[in-house]
Amino acid sequence: MIAAQPHHGYDDNPCRPRHFKPPPCAPVVPEGPARKALEACRTRLFLTGILFACVFAVVALRVVEVVLLEGGTAQSHMPRFRIPATPAPARADIVDRNGRLLATTLDSPSLYANPKQILDPADATRKLVKAFPNLKKAEVYAKLTSSKSFVYLKRHLIPREQYEVNQLGIPGVQFQHEERRLYPDGTLTAHVVGYTGIDNAGFAGIERGLDSMLRDRREPLQLSLDLRIQYILREELQRVIDDFTAKAAAGLIMDVNTGEVLSMVSLPDFDPNHPGAIDPDHADISIADRMFNRDTLGVYELGSIFKIFTVAMALDTGTSTLASTYDATHDIHIGRFTIGDYHGKHRVLNVPEILMYSSNIGAAKMAIAAGGQRQREFLARIGLLKAPKIEVSEAAAPHFPAKWREVNVMTIAFGHGISVTPLSFASAAAALVNGGTLRQATLLKPLPGEAPQGQQVISPKTSEQMRKLMRLVVEHGTGTMAAAPGYVVGGKTGTAEKLSGRHYAEKKLLSSFVGIFPINDPKYLVLTVVDEPHPNKQSHGYATAGWTVAPATSRIIQRMAPLLGVQPVDEASPEIQRALMVESLQGKRLEAY
Amino acid sequence: MIRLGTLFWLVLVSATGFAMFGVKYQVQALEDDLARTNRATASEEHELRVLEAEWAYLTRPETLEAMNRQFLSLAPIGTKQLHATAADIPLRPPPPAPPPPPAEAAAVIAAAEPAAEAPTATSAPPSEPDGVPVLAPEPATPETVAEPPATQSALRVMPALLEKPAAAPQLGKPAPVKAVAKSSPAPRRAKSLDDLIAQIMTSR
Repeated sequence: MIAAQPHHGYDDNPCRPRHFKPPPCAPVVPEGPARKALEACRTRLFLTGILFACVFAVVALRVVEVVLLEGGTAQSHMPRFRIPATPAPARADIVDRNGRLLATTLDSPSLYANPKQILDPADATRKLVKAFPNLKKAEVYAKLTSSKSFVYLKRHLIPREQYEVNQLGIPGVQFQHEERRLYPDGTLTAHVVGYTGIDNAGFAGIERGLDSMLRDRREPLQLSLDLRIQYILREELQRVIDDFTAKAAAGLIMDVNTGEVLSMVSLPDFDPNHPGAIDPDHADISIADRMFNRDTLGVYELGSIFKIFTVAMALDTGTSTLASTYDATHDIHIGRFTIGDYHGKHRVLNVPEILMYSSNIGAAKMAIAAGGQRQREFLARIGLLKAPKIEVSEAAAPHFPAKWREVNVMTIAFGHGISVTPLSFASAAAALVNGGTLRQATLLKPLPGEAPQGQQVISPKTSEQMRKLMRLVVEHGTGTMAAAPGYVVGGKTGTAEKLSGRHYAEKKLLSSFVGIFPINDPKYLVLTVVDEPHPNKQSHGYATAGWTVAPATSRIIQRMAPLLGVQPVDEASPEIQRALMVESLQGKRLEAY
Repeated sequence: MIRLGTLFWLVLVSATGFAMFGVKYQVQALEDDLARTNRATASEEHELRVLEAEWAYLTRPETLEAMNRQFLSLAPIGTKQLHATAADIPLRPPPPAPPPPPAEAAAVIAAAEPAAEAPTATSAPPSEPDGVPVLAPEPATPETVAEPPATQSALRVMPALLEKPAAAPQLGKPAPVKAVAKSSPAPRRAKSLDDLIAQIMTSR
């Protein structure tokens, strides 16, 4: 109302009515400092107004954007206010082909204390030691009275323990969220599944081989493994080890038509829940030995079971026929080696007989007849000259001579001088009987409709001949104890002397057996290898494959076949006899080896 | 006029304010609810994982084998037990005679009424003398047992035909299966798995 004051003199109308209010305009300030100050003030007000207008305009634009234009980036800010609906476990589960849990991740909180918040360390110690009898009183007390602000009291509690600690209600004692990998089946799948270390990083097996895949996915990873078959194989291999006081054993069961590995056992094994823990029963076996996967990482001179490749090579390349004969009367002397026969017949043998009676001389002569070049090419074609490809991280490259000399050709013909992994062997053997298609072995169950790719390595005709010959080995040859009535087993025995130093040790054997059933329509392959078996009373002083792993293979097949729905057949029925008849042996009397 | 306008705006502002706070609190409550539910889901899922791991641990093959040895003594299936498949079992033969037309069946039942405690007569040939087929042991075959629906449909027709509803309810109950089961010499059906195991153990 300053403006209305008449004594200022700027209201120049003396006749103004009393009730008349002057128009709301700024007073006319005379020149001088007051006017200057007023103008500065006005400018400031104006600028502030513009600033506000700008901010409001921004807000308005943003409102328009959020409401009319569906928010823009507004969505991305939301999740941080929310708890994810189901916090994904840090690592995917692993299950077997039937969905049975093999590895899972569980929350397992760790107990820690902040000593600065502990009001009564003595009382807290008493309570904690009562709840966890294996904690030492003095240690706990020392931790609780230390000057740090974080001390672990116990790692990885189980839910019951967590509940008990909560019941104690000690201030300053808290849980830290941690996750732990758990393997319900323990040792049974140790080498396949592997184990994880701190931070749940894969250290071995599938856990390591498919580490990034397991980290990224949420749904369980399904293996081709069948836990039931795995149990059978492990039990029977353990029995072989116990019966023949052997050092170690390895076994593989594979679907010959898809390459899926149904079971993979390597003994001795370890508990992936406590890798590194020493088994009190067998304290003499080192951890490294237990963790060693003999199926994929061990390379062995497998011995006579290699003869199936020699025969297949000779038949497929046409350098021999089933009627070809080789003189196995005398031992072969070459360089410092003497090649002789274990089950010596000392006469001329034909090809089926060479395989049946496992004649080293015959196999060596067959290989020589075919030539080193062909032999090497054939072994490369069936994947025996490179490391096997498999999902587990452990895979070893084979050992074979760089220079393929004549003596190498001869020894490789019966499986000495070349070391391969049992896995490579199984894949190659499967290709010999399944019609000639080599498929990469896999530990993952293929998705339905996903046909495993393979490549033709031998002709279907050779494959059929190999099936017949392998049946002969079990029917009349060295592998008679592998017979499982009704399941038409075919196979080949192999007993190799282990190389010790520069010589082969006669008493240190590696006995192996490859069995395929039903051989007239092959479905599954069972490969068993036992390291350094010793003869016992039941085996009449033998520790060869025919007495050790062949009977085990028979037991394995009889136990697993019903589980896999393989229908037993009458082996004496005419159609099976006809399907497995070897023409070149027609009318010949077969002698027992 | 100005006052009215001011009032209108005031009301509008306060209404908007109230509405906004209302919605805000509603949203907050919903978010709390969501968080609670999510936490509960997570805890349930964790529990589920623990239980699954526990189940896998408790059903390890070695545990099952030990338990089998202790309680069941089951042995692996031998070749002898696998000589035939389910496909080798012949299909059930067709019923011997077509079911009699409703009127006739009703007549038979009406005739058989005195022996109502075993009303399997529906499936018996209508030509047989009343009363006798009912108690004969021979028709106690699976076909007879498997046909209660037919029996019931026949019974439903009967009262209308005979106008004697008083006698019908007795028959109308789905008793026939039980009656047949009782009269057959087969062993008692086990009520539970434990019961079955107990039976097997006593019969050994």
